[in-house]
Amino acid sequence: MTAIESKSPKKKPADSVKDQKAEGRSRASVPLLFGSWFLPGFGHWRLGKKRRAGVFAAVIFCAFITGVFLHGEIGTPKPESPFSWLAAFACLGNGILAIGRLVWLNGLGGLLGGFPFALQGGGSPAAAGFAYGNTFLYTAGLMNLLAVLDVSDIARGEKD
Amino acid sequence: MDHLLLMVWHALLVSVFFAFLWRSTAIGRRNLFLKTFLIMVVGAAALGWLMFPFP
Repeated sequence: MTAIESKSPKKKPADSVKDQKAEGRSRASVPLLFGSWFLPGFGHWRLGKKRRAGVFAAVIFCAFITGVFLHGEIGTPKPESPFSWLAAFACLGNGILAIGRLVWLNGLGGLLGGFPFALQGGGSPAAAGFAYGNTFLYTAGLMNLLAVLDVSDIARGEKD
Repeated sequence: MDHLLLMVWHALLVSVFFAFLWRSTAIGRRNLFLKTFLIMVVGAAALGWLMFPFP
């Protein structure tokens, strides 16, 4: 260790937090991020980005509805298929749309009682549009999750 | 069900989303939208033609 290094004062964790806040790198609020996930477009609307909020909400809603009409399946975890968790994660990104669809298919009691392995995701594997519908549902969910990350960036002042 | 129409619809939605996510000016959004939309649609059609000879 050099003489210069030994004399330099150590930074405390509190100093690090102060530095982050000074640089605009504080955390986004959890309710804002939750609302942004639950209701597509809500986070941007709350932050004053109303045009972006409207476009994101419309795009995610259109993609989700297209997926449902093409007989796509809301991803649900299956014990014999580990990758089904990824599909479930992507679909749950749709927030209230995915939860509403699961309630529609399972009923509220079935949703609460059947979580996680006994849920019905709907869809029809025999339908011609099944794979296309799934793609639309996954895409909509992942776009909403990207929108949540965007809300986080905007709230922390790292993006306009 | 028209598969091409579905692909174009998907490309349209994704392009609009990323244009608004990654650009903040109208011109920037329009340019990114056109770029991503054309890459997805023309690229998918070109790949389809390239795969045509394979079984």
